[in-house]
Amino acid sequence: MPPTRKKRSRRRTLRQILGGVRRRIRRAAGRTRSIWRRSLHLQVVTSTLVISVIVVVVLGTFLFQQINNSVVQSSQQSSSGEATADRLRIADALAPETDDPAKAADGGDKGAADPLDDVMDTITGSRDDASEKRYEVLVLNLTNPGKSRASNSVEPANVPVGLRLSLQRNIREYKYDKTVGFIQSIRLAGESQPQLRFVVGGIVHVLPTGENYEVYHFFPFNEEEELLTNVRLAIVVVGLGLVLLLAAIAYLVARQVVSPVRLAREAAERLAAGKLDERLKVRGEDDLARLANSFNEMAANLALKIHQLEELSQVQRQFVSDVSHELRTPLTTVRMAADLLYDAREDFDPMAARSAELMQAQLERFESMLTDLLEISRYDAGAATLDLDSVDVRDVVLRAIGDSEALAERHTTRFELRLPNEPCMAEIDNRRVERILRNLLFNAIEHGEGRDVVVTVGADRDAVAVAVRDHGIGLKAGEDTMVFDRFWRADPSRARTIGGTGLGLAISREDATLHGGWLQAWGQPGEGSQFRLTLPRVAGSDLKGSPLSLVPPEIEMRRTWRTAMTPVLLPASGDGAGFDGTAYDRAGYDED
Amino acid sequence: MTRIRRLGAAVALAVTVVWAGSGCTVIPVSGPYTVNDQGAGDPLSKPFHRMIAIKPQPNWGVDETMRGLQAAMAAYADDPSILLSYLTPEARAKWSAAGPVTVVEDAIDVVPPPPREATDPVLKVWLKGKYVARIDEDDTYTPTGGSWGQPFDLVKAPQGGFLVKSLPPGLVLTRADVRRAYRPTNLYYLNRSLQDRLVVDRVRLRLKTTESFAQTVLERLLKPPTATLKDAVTSSLPEGTTIESIRSGEGGERVVVNLSGPLDLSSRDALRAQIKYSLNMNDVAKGRTIEIQANGEPYTTALANTDETWLDDSGKTAYYVTKGAIHYLSKDGPGGVVAGAAGEQRDGYSDFAVSKEENGNSLVAAKTSTGISVAAMVPQGRWQEVIHGKGADFTAPTWHRDGSLWTYDRKNSVLLRYDPSSGRGAEPVEAPNLAGLDVTRLRIARDGVRVMVMTGRNTVQISALTGEGPQMKLGNLRALTTTNEADKIIDVKWGDEEHLLVLVQSQAGHILTEINVGDGESTGVPLTERLQSVAALGDRVLAETDKGAKLLELNQDRQTWTPKIDSDGGAPLFPLG
Repeated sequence: MPPTRKKRSRRRTLRQILGGVRRRIRRAAGRTRSIWRRSLHLQVVTSTLVISVIVVVVLGTFLFQQINNSVVQSSQQSSSGEATADRLRIADALAPETDDPAKAADGGDKGAADPLDDVMDTITGSRDDASEKRYEVLVLNLTNPGKSRASNSVEPANVPVGLRLSLQRNIREYKYDKTVGFIQSIRLAGESQPQLRFVVGGIVHVLPTGENYEVYHFFPFNEEEELLTNVRLAIVVVGLGLVLLLAAIAYLVARQVVSPVRLAREAAERLAAGKLDERLKVRGEDDLARLANSFNEMAANLALKIHQLEELSQVQRQFVSDVSHELRTPLTTVRMAADLLYDAREDFDPMAARSAELMQAQLERFESMLTDLLEISRYDAGAATLDLDSVDVRDVVLRAIGDSEALAERHTTRFELRLPNEPCMAEIDNRRVERILRNLLFNAIEHGEGRDVVVTVGADRDAVAVAVRDHGIGLKAGEDTMVFDRFWRADPSRARTIGGTGLGLAISREDATLHGGWLQAWGQPGEGSQFRLTLPRVAGSDLKGSPLSLVPPEIEMRRTWRTAMTPVLLPASGDGAGFDGTAYDRAGYDED
Repeated sequence: MTRIRRLGAAVALAVTVVWAGSGCTVIPVSGPYTVNDQGAGDPLSKPFHRMIAIKPQPNWGVDETMRGLQAAMAAYADDPSILLSYLTPEARAKWSAAGPVTVVEDAIDVVPPPPREATDPVLKVWLKGKYVARIDEDDTYTPTGGSWGQPFDLVKAPQGGFLVKSLPPGLVLTRADVRRAYRPTNLYYLNRSLQDRLVVDRVRLRLKTTESFAQTVLERLLKPPTATLKDAVTSSLPEGTTIESIRSGEGGERVVVNLSGPLDLSSRDALRAQIKYSLNMNDVAKGRTIEIQANGEPYTTALANTDETWLDDSGKTAYYVTKGAIHYLSKDGPGGVVAGAAGEQRDGYSDFAVSKEENGNSLVAAKTSTGISVAAMVPQGRWQEVIHGKGADFTAPTWHRDGSLWTYDRKNSVLLRYDPSSGRGAEPVEAPNLAGLDVTRLRIARDGVRVMVMTGRNTVQISALTGEGPQMKLGNLRALTTTNEADKIIDVKWGDEEHLLVLVQSQAGHILTEINVGDGESTGVPLTERLQSVAALGDRVLAETDKGAKLLELNQDRQTWTPKIDSDGGAPLFPLG
């Protein structure tokens, strides 16, 4: 159904987008984490920044709250003081004149003027001799007409509802002395925008008449608000400046500490890379200078030791080489004598004939061992050279198989060849590669337990590869690298059947390395093993991959089937699959 | 080295102590330094308070309802809805607040209907009191007297209480309401004939909650003057001018007035003077520089505390007359006779008047038995009769600031004007309002516009010279004050441009009163002796005691008098007025 398909397609796209975003975020996080882990400088500056921000925010908030409370409270106190004074004036003015004969006499010349007007004149500053007040006043008497007044433009609607209700409740409860405050933004008539005001509400209760006057004072708080805004701005600016200053200080301090450490790290890296004459500059006498001194001493000692070891190694190599050479001459003589004895063995009694045969066999082994020792001495001395020629690797493989057929027949082992139809041309040293392949084939025959040995040749644009697969006991974990060590054997109690010297695979790896190629091993206990030789088509070029998989395709396929959550068949290639940290069970394996 | 170190340590310690001490001080002791003046409040407004009216309550009786109605009238300009809530729908449709505002004394009596009519569906209730004044629609405040009363019809409201079914048009305010919500305000216009001096027009302006008092004043200044100055003054603010904004800036030190309209560049100075005086003389923007803008562009600036000549009275020399000779009055007493014939003793000359000073010289006019004579106060000055006739038929001569001499020929009922510079004799000036009146005194104010006309022996009226050139005439006559029949006004003189000094002889003694010609407000000046004549120029008041023995000067406190000449004094004189 097309709509369903459309829906699925859209859902997939969304999922893909989300997946892409997630991948990008993960990648960015990874990069950040990596930068964070690698930079001590960044860690110090960031930590300082975060801590100083927290401290500044906490202190700034506390400071602002304190200032805020002080300013607002003092303003409220002075305002409520003025409001109280005004209420007292109003109460005094509204009190019946008979209570105060002096006032009665005073008021005589004002005629019937309302005392509320007189007191409002004084409170609001309307009278000529009164001073202008900064606040507004509203007097409300909702029971008696003509007894409500307001200064300037204030109106009853400007009174906050909550304050009004609170005051009326106080009247109902006869709490005439209770004053109520309210802070609110209020816009009076004629004002373009609301202003923050502190509204104080109180009651003037006129005893004889029982009338209640609600008196509201509107004190502008815009100056206080402006002051506190400026204080807050100052705190923010100063706090920001402080944070930046601390960050700068942390940067400088960290730089002073981290720079020598970084120099020490770089020097250590160069030292590790083999530059034994790398030294740090020593400035002053502080801890970092002492670190540099210690580093330099360590480097000097290390260089000395390495030099001594190199010399010792050189002496040893020279000794081995010399011994090999020196042994060759008497060995030749012994060999000639042995050949004679061997040739005449039929004339000897059976015991002597058997001795002659044994001697002949061990002499051959001794001779090949000497040859291998000489060969490996050449590598150690760096004297090995390549005799390059462009050849078809298939021919080399066939020749090596031809050399191994006799041995294979003895072990009832058959070769299965998987050669490409196209020629696999490569610039190689024919003799050395043939020796490598021979070694691999002998190894496979010896450990193949009579089962088939599969030889595969592969090629791509840059490289050619030969894989030799046996189905023997395999390799245990870790043995895939140890097999290339000199004189290494998986099971020392096991006798060598084909008379190997213990140096075959070591020499093979050296040969491969000399070509700029790889010689790698894979194996699992019970699954056999596979050795893969990869060589560049052009001598001297770098290898980027191998045309053949190190892990045999059938093993890879089985593993995929067993573990994969989604039934997706992975390609059987996967270069270096045996080197990606995956633990393989490998059977004991020794070199030839 | 050790000494230097010790010295350094001591200095460091001292610096630390000072720093720590000043750091611990909340407000460090410091100064002197220049302190910026902060503006003393809003320069554009005046503080005031106003009535808050409340709606009729269901539990109110007739008395409360009527008092609530009157309070709502007082608050009508701020909130008309409250007053309307007192009226029935029928009354709301009929009633209008337009028309003059009636001002009555604060003690208003609510006279309910007789008990026998108390059950009628419509109750006729009377508000009664004493009439105080009337505020016309042109904002003129006219004092009146007598008793006042108006009927109101009340009906019971459905939800309880009463509603007003019918009431007379216009608002009724008490004296306290007016005092609370109105401000006496002086507006300044240009005198029409010369356009060299400002003329004050006194109005009562209501304070508004939605605009500053400065705005209220200038909005009113854009309108024509009151009826008393109609056709007598002009304005440099042409018709169509509007006020875009008035604001104060620079900490209240500067007031910016932004006008728009067809402003004339030639009348820049007059416009500046009109606005400045109209604001400053009403205690608005006082001491502030007033920047006037035309359509947002700078037009002219009135600097603070600058003395401009727009209220100049042209001559402050004081004179007095003894035995027909005119003397100078110096600061300490007699200053000698004036030059020429005017300084010579002469019988038969009376009612002297001194003209405006021109280049330090003035003319003096006096009434003789054969007419009115004029002499220059120079060495060669000789008396010369310029208006002929029987002296008793003329009112005392009075000078106009344009240099002309005026008198009223009572025999022929004609107002005469003699211009010395014209070379012609006295010419009649049209004065239709004076026809049939017994004009006993006539004095032209120093602004050249207002004219005091005294009729009979105890009535003072104010008129104005309207028109200009040949069309000039005396008009806009309006009663100012009158005394009891038994009393007699002895002398009337102009003080400043808006006050008249009226000396009355009553049975109780002599009374000197200063009356504002704009709104009739009068202030008594206490007298210690009987006076014969007075003269005034601005705040300076001179008086001649009875029998002309002493010359007194009123002190700045306006309560006490100081003798200037103890004997041989005479009638005091100031130029013009």
